[in-house]
Amino acid sequence: MNAYIPEIGKPVPRADAVAKATGAEKYAVDHYGDNIVWAGVRRAGVAHGRIRHLDTSVASLLPGVIAVLTGRDVPGTNRQGIIHKDQPVLADEKVRHCGDAVALVVAEDRATLQKALSLIRVEIDPLPGVFTVDDALRPDAPLVHEDHPQGNVLLKATIHSGDGQVALEGCDIILEETFHVPVQSHAFIETENGVAWQERGGKVALVVSTQAPFRDKWEISHALGLPLDRLHIIGPYLGGAFGGKDGATVQCLLVLAALHTGGRRVKMWWNREESFIAGYKRHAVRMHYHLGARTDGTLQALHCRLYYDTGAYAHLGGEVMALGMEHAGGPYRIPHTLIEGWCVYTNNPIAGAMRGFGVAQVSFAFEGMMDLLAVKLGMDPLELRLKNALLRGDRNASGVTLTQSTGIADCLTAVQHHSLWHERKAWKKEAPPFHKRGVGIAAVFNAMGYGRGLPDSALAKVELTPEGRIRVYSGVSDMGQGNTTAFVQIAGQILCQDHTAIELIQPDTERTLPSGSASAGRTTYTYGNALIKACEELRRRLTGRAALMLLSDTLDDLELLPGRVKNLATGREIPLTALAAMMSPEDRVCISQFLMPVVRDKLDTGKEFVIGFPHLLFSYAAHLVCIEVDELTGVIDIKAYLAATEAGRVLNPQAFEQQVQGAIAQGIGYALSEEVLLQEGRIVNPDFATYIIPGALDIPEIVSLAVETYEPSGPYGMKGVGEVGMNGPLPSIAGALADASGIHMTRSPLTAERVLAALQNQQEHP
Amino acid sequence: MTQVYLPRTLTELWTYLDGEPEALIYTGGTDLLVKMPAENANTAPALICLERLGELRCIRETADSILIGSTTTHAELLRHPLILAQLPVLAQALQTLGSPLIRNMGTIGGNICTASPAGDTLPPLYILEAEVELHSRKAVRILPIREFISGPGKTQLQKGEILSGVAVKKPADYNIHHFEKVGQRKSMACAVASMAALLRLSPSGLIEAARLALGSVGPTVVTATAIDESLIGKKLSLTSLAATAERIRQLVAPIDDVRASADYRRTVSGNLLLRLLDARTQ
Amino acid sequence: MTIHFILNGEKTTLNVTPDRRAVDVLREDCGRTGTKEGCGAGECGACTILVDGESRLSCLMLAAQLEGRKITTIEGMAVRDSLHPLQNAFIRHGAVQCGFCTPGMILAATSLMNHNPHPTRADIRAGLSGNLCRCTGYQKIVDAVEAAVRLEEEKS
Repeated sequence: MNAYIPEIGKPVPRADAVAKATGAEKYAVDHYGDNIVWAGVRRAGVAHGRIRHLDTSVASLLPGVIAVLTGRDVPGTNRQGIIHKDQPVLADEKVRHCGDAVALVVAEDRATLQKALSLIRVEIDPLPGVFTVDDALRPDAPLVHEDHPQGNVLLKATIHSGDGQVALEGCDIILEETFHVPVQSHAFIETENGVAWQERGGKVALVVSTQAPFRDKWEISHALGLPLDRLHIIGPYLGGAFGGKDGATVQCLLVLAALHTGGRRVKMWWNREESFIAGYKRHAVRMHYHLGARTDGTLQALHCRLYYDTGAYAHLGGEVMALGMEHAGGPYRIPHTLIEGWCVYTNNPIAGAMRGFGVAQVSFAFEGMMDLLAVKLGMDPLELRLKNALLRGDRNASGVTLTQSTGIADCLTAVQHHSLWHERKAWKKEAPPFHKRGVGIAAVFNAMGYGRGLPDSALAKVELTPEGRIRVYSGVSDMGQGNTTAFVQIAGQILCQDHTAIELIQPDTERTLPSGSASAGRTTYTYGNALIKACEELRRRLTGRAALMLLSDTLDDLELLPGRVKNLATGREIPLTALAAMMSPEDRVCISQFLMPVVRDKLDTGKEFVIGFPHLLFSYAAHLVCIEVDELTGVIDIKAYLAATEAGRVLNPQAFEQQVQGAIAQGIGYALSEEVLLQEGRIVNPDFATYIIPGALDIPEIVSLAVETYEPSGPYGMKGVGEVGMNGPLPSIAGALADASGIHMTRSPLTAERVLAALQNQQEHP
Repeated sequence: MTQVYLPRTLTELWTYLDGEPEALIYTGGTDLLVKMPAENANTAPALICLERLGELRCIRETADSILIGSTTTHAELLRHPLILAQLPVLAQALQTLGSPLIRNMGTIGGNICTASPAGDTLPPLYILEAEVELHSRKAVRILPIREFISGPGKTQLQKGEILSGVAVKKPADYNIHHFEKVGQRKSMACAVASMAALLRLSPSGLIEAARLALGSVGPTVVTATAIDESLIGKKLSLTSLAATAERIRQLVAPIDDVRASADYRRTVSGNLLLRLLDARTQ
Repeated sequence: MTIHFILNGEKTTLNVTPDRRAVDVLREDCGRTGTKEGCGAGECGACTILVDGESRLSCLMLAAQLEGRKITTIEGMAVRDSLHPLQNAFIRHGAVQCGFCTPGMILAATSLMNHNPHPTRADIRAGLSGNLCRCTGYQKIVDAVEAAVRLEEEKS
């Protein structure tokens, strides 16, 4: 490929694509090293219990075993967690879910490791467990955390606007329904892993598949009692994450192991089953909705009660619920709301961050209610949504005034004008024998950024290298979303350099600067804004210093061009290599910080949320899906998919489509087949043969329309687009099923078995 | 450490088996190796891999039969004109088996010996009245497949014996070959329920002969002469099929598992028969 | 045991325990970490390699089975500095996101094109249906393979 300047707005190929497509890119899992040793974990296998006896002596004596460690061997607090430090690195006296780590083994090779793990004797006295939200909320429920002041309630919170629930009484129509969504697994292809080693002088380095290398450092430091300056975290490209590598997985375990290997590298790599058992998950939620409207379809009031099962540890459970509650009213004007949420500890696997963070769940409920209302009123479901769609300047269901770009109405209009929508009736009539066809739509949104209470900040660093190249030091991980490429485009745009002359350094706590986690649709927005400032400063410096060399008395004559600065008046040029040689090292580096703006409304609600409420910026999407339901098997086949997405300006059409299509595929899995099945807290489908994510044949061709707005606070007008696409498939497919069959499913996923049972039930009780 | 042997001839195989009578035998590894922990391949005394046993990798035609060597891969079968032309019901089943990667590795012999109730080639092989050839150093014996498979994961294979091939009579007089599998996705899906069917329709549309087999709804593939016969002389109509579908639902004995309930499997095993209304004659 | 095989065109001799998995031998002993592992059970396709030109799952092959074979991993697809047309197409058409499935996808696509030089989009989806991708929704992967197919068709 010839050199080009990677400009904003162009479908610039990924900066990392060549290395990845040739197998050259080194993910965390590709790091080995000479004389490497292996670490692994013995897990509880019991959902709730007290450790009566833990005997590691036989395992320790096995030849090839380097260390066997238990909770007693953990220096520091032995507690990890992002906000709430409630999760032991190694269980001390109690286990709270089947995946709890009970002992850590370090061995010469993998075979010895497995043998040693099997030789550890763990005796756990089972305690009664709580496996549903209802069980956990009973007054006499066993406590998951005895020391938690609110018992099993991690967080109870309320969002209130207008007259709240009271307003339901005055509504012409009140609809009531309860929805259930299950636990979903991120199912990234690169499972949790890392390599750690202790350097001379005591510092521990860790190469790890992580979304938050800087936060990892604080978490490890807290849990293991190591000073921050003894930790060095390196976060290469990730083989997928989607929220599941936001927070400690292998981090504390590996650093602990590295303290016992005498400087040898130690590797831990969870296999798929361990990833399922011990990794984080999307929350299962039960959602009770009351929606009130006028007969003309104008939404009036909403009351909902949301119950999030957060599993054994807090992780980001409260924040996930906060975002779900903030989105519980959909992208609609509802003047009166009461949204109540309970985030509840159970002895189930740990729930935490996942793409569509709490919002994917409520999207099923609020769009399900809109479909029910459309049926009740005999209204066109798209018109009903359009009628209530939030406009800039409106207050949303949390009472926040939307001061920024708000494109949901435009998205809905784009769908309305598409042939898949206006030709749907004819298409539906052509259903093959034993099949029904239906078309569904969904209007969804997703906040971006951390929200109030936690500074959403990035520190960008850009350097002119001695070789005359531009090097961007990214402090925020690239888990596949492609922020790296956006950074290359920003640097290319401002500094006018060829793509071959721009280098990207991935997060490294000693080379790059803290820029927050790769999450919340914030990576390109926050770091990008900081990078724009840093690149502009570097540009000024390069022309300013070139002026000295080119004897130019005004910067106006100077132009930064690929590989050089040119004096347009004289035609003289100076190569960047020469410029770099003249500049001091600190002069060649520019650093800039950006802090995301926040909501200015003074809200008298949501006080329980310490962080993460409310949000200023949202991306929006309207989805349309065409499905065929097999009446003989209940199988739903997705025939076509359309997404109109508003996320400000599009910096890179290819990257934009990647996010839209990828999120929809994950959403289709969530809608049709993905469900972590639990029996008394134990996962019964911890593999890809039984936890079913979609393959290439299961995903239809997806048409993506970019509905562009301009977000003044965003870099070049953009907003994050990574999450919103996740929220549409479940409600739109459920809507399409209702359109095809009249059946409104309220429990997901819409498996063939559930659909067939509903079809049969409909036949028997018409 | 476990020794792995790769015999190139049957003679070599017998020698290895003499030395390691408890050895586990595999070809593609898509079943056996999945069950073994990654870290230390296994605790088996030895492994014998038949992938290089050329004698068993063949597809041949005789006057009235098609002979398939047991180490022939699913992909090879799917590409073979004889299979496509003569055994479309088997080809249809193979198309749904695993994924292209699994089909490149897995073999028909492996699918039979695994004897899973969900084995995709089994319903077609049952109604094609396939016979398996079992070879040991000293003897060869032949068994109908339905006798060879005795339960889920259970076969009549004896120590020192391997499945060397499958013989299938050419089903010349059936003009409908039909296979359908219900799985949880469109590839890499274990059958939740499946049906293989061979029908002969007269020019006037009457069913003259019928053979049905159902997968994943019992400990082994479910067939019944009474079911087959109930279709004979009937028109291929919703009424006639619905009556037989109900009999199928009464006949099958599915279980609940992580993929589906017994009830669902029962309902669908009958429903799949109705699809024959759309089946095209060949 | 000692095994001899051709790895990406190079004669290779290794001393290995015969029951180690091929994926581990390729990654750890040969340093070909482009071969990924995602499930260890043949369900994801990340470990796809070519064995004598046919796609195979290296997590379901043992070291002994490498003996005498011609093995191609993703590192062997480019000829010197010239990328394979499928690699170029994946890069150009946005088929790479996190990239962890990419090596397996490219090798599976190679095998598909060997057997079917003129696949439709449906054929391509079927041909890649043993390789899970969690990022792309597959569309740009299908686009890329389709583009590589068209390019080959134009050449011939």
